[in-house]
Amino acid sequence: MDVASERWQLSRRQFLRTLAASGAIAAGDLAWWEEPFLSTRKAYGATPVRFQFSVPEPKRNALVESLVQRFNQSQKDFEVKVEFVPQAQARQKLITSITAGSPPDCCQVWDNWVGEFEGMGAVEDLTAQVKDWKHYRDVLPIAWETVTVKGKILSFPWVVTNDAIYYRTDRLKEYGLKAPSDDWTWDDFLTLAKGFTKADRNQYGFGMRGQGTWAVLYATEFMYGNGAQVLKDGKVVINGKEAVEGLDWYLDLLRKHKVTPPSVPTDGWRQIVEGFGRGITNTYLHNSGSSEEQKGFVGPQNFATVPLPMGPTKKRASFYFSETLTAFKAAKNREGAWRFMTFLMEDEPHAMYCKTLGLLPARKTVADRPEFAKDPALAGFVKSFPFSIVSPYLAHAGWGGKLDSEGVPLFQQAMVGKISAKECLDKFAEVLTKNMA
Amino acid sequence: MSYRDATIAAPLARPLVTRRTRELLLGYAYLLPVAVCLGGTVLVPILKAIHMSLYNHVLIKPQEYRFIGLGNYARLLGDDVFWLTLWNSAWWVFGSVSLQFLGGFAAALLLHQAFAGRALVRTVTLLPWVIPGVVVALVWEYIYQPNYGILNDLLFRLGWLHERVAWLSDPRLAMPAVIMTNIWRGVPFFAIMLLAGLQAIPDELYEAARVDGASVTQRFWHVTLPLLRPIIVVATATRIIWTFNYADLIFVMTSGGPANATQITSTYTLLQAYSNLDFGYAATLSVVLLLIMLAFTIAYLRVTRGVESVA
Repeated sequence: MDVASERWQLSRRQFLRTLAASGAIAAGDLAWWEEPFLSTRKAYGATPVRFQFSVPEPKRNALVESLVQRFNQSQKDFEVKVEFVPQAQARQKLITSITAGSPPDCCQVWDNWVGEFEGMGAVEDLTAQVKDWKHYRDVLPIAWETVTVKGKILSFPWVVTNDAIYYRTDRLKEYGLKAPSDDWTWDDFLTLAKGFTKADRNQYGFGMRGQGTWAVLYATEFMYGNGAQVLKDGKVVINGKEAVEGLDWYLDLLRKHKVTPPSVPTDGWRQIVEGFGRGITNTYLHNSGSSEEQKGFVGPQNFATVPLPMGPTKKRASFYFSETLTAFKAAKNREGAWRFMTFLMEDEPHAMYCKTLGLLPARKTVADRPEFAKDPALAGFVKSFPFSIVSPYLAHAGWGGKLDSEGVPLFQQAMVGKISAKECLDKFAEVLTKNMA
Repeated sequence: MSYRDATIAAPLARPLVTRRTRELLLGYAYLLPVAVCLGGTVLVPILKAIHMSLYNHVLIKPQEYRFIGLGNYARLLGDDVFWLTLWNSAWWVFGSVSLQFLGGFAAALLLHQAFAGRALVRTVTLLPWVIPGVVVALVWEYIYQPNYGILNDLLFRLGWLHERVAWLSDPRLAMPAVIMTNIWRGVPFFAIMLLAGLQAIPDELYEAARVDGASVTQRFWHVTLPLLRPIIVVATATRIIWTFNYADLIFVMTSGGPANATQITSTYTLLQAYSNLDFGYAATLSVVLLLIMLAFTIAYLRVTRGVESVA
């Protein structure tokens, strides 16, 4: 064999090796939900289960379709049919279908809607079943708290999330700024936001939110940093001195220090996430749900998360929310709904759903996996667990809609200086008090 | 049977209904399907809305559903936001329609002239009207975006702006900004309507006026404008009603914010219905909107009585 053919043989072997290796890498790299599920369906004539899913976007759709397919192929009794509904219409569609007496068998909704559905007497009480469920004790107690209304467990906390601050690590180095520590203060936050603000370069220190329910929630979290509370001994105390001072300080980031973009009063979720992704803002407050998106926008190495800063009273709070799996009393297939919901809470479906969306698993054993516990993009959220609380606005069913229709305009008025923080909170407290029932 | 036999036959008995009545009934019978459809799609929802407005009907509180008479109307009288939205609606309608009309008229006069590429210009002029309202709102929201929007960028490059302007986030600018978008969208409507009217005016009238020594301005005031009057009235009235009830643009661009600066009555109604799920109060707002528009329509019919005969 001459040298040339030997080289050719080696090369061919190498080629085959490379081919095999790249195949293995590609297979490993394939998204879990795109892998073919090879087992055949066991039986026909399964009872249908209607499942409404309300965040239709390509990635979630593919994931949910795959989960549904896996469930359908794993047993013979039920067949889940998923109905994708735009998020903006989901709550309205559910309420309309509940009123009409034909809700889906189960659905994915945010915990702040569950209270409203309970107010309508529409949600199935899962307490007894859940307490007998094999993973009951593996779910974080606070996650159960997000779906417990008047002592009844009404849903599965599919995933949980709390709030933390996202910040750009690359710009931190570029501008020679000090990285925030886990126990940083409001002063540190302001210093960082000022250092990050370069208006001439169209860069701002903080992507404040002024639109949507969370505009009120984020402001409230800062108020908690000053020792304020929404409810105390069953009374609304959101207009107390600590809250007013806290809100004033928070709004001054926009009004006085101008460390936020001028568009804040109408900036919603999309704008704050995109503002950071486009490099216009260098910090923003949000839940872990946008961490995966930011990995694509700014790169995983260029950002990190840190807990909210501590206020002058050395307090702080991050509000807990959960994305739930909820079943309805008027459902036609309650057994099927239960089977599907418990399937989604099993190790792999649960882990894959959370991992894909950058959310935190409600089950402790899944949350302890390195992909959640060790991810720097999630560190701020994990470190916020000790002081995270269930959102105080979940306490009353009537508050959900009022946050949007009356709370947001009031906070916007305070943002643009039409009313003072005190006037804003006095009026807001009146709205909350009126709708406590 | 011969013709003679027929004429000597006994006279027919007097019919139960006269021929005139029969024709009348037949006419109504022809109209019946349409009347049923209209009644079902227009009248029933209106009656249902009036019925709902008399109840405390909050979807999340079904246990509190009860008849409250004019309770929702009394609440509305004391609702400061409602009065603010009425004021905002007036600005929104007046600002949008007046400038849409002026822009549309100018465009129609231009498109009425003969020039190369007129067909293309006409098509392009029509485009804003063809694009769905939600898409228009999203596009303009990006145009106005203070940090990466094209408007600020353009004004910066021209040196007319030295600080970024948050067009939709400043309460003083938000309403003019959404009105501007609505003008952009509505100009083609007037342009097409008025162009059709212009093309219907006989050239002889202009020639006669020219022979009589009328200047361009005089021809416009004494020939064009009076002959376009029926179209102007109909198009403007229609547009006013549409604009008053048109919520898409504002809903997408500002959601009525900031601080209710762009909240008009129709967006406020949506907010009450779909955010608060207070269908009783939302129905009350709809009924009030209906009454306002009804009053406007009656006034319009009185003012324009006989206008059609001018042409």
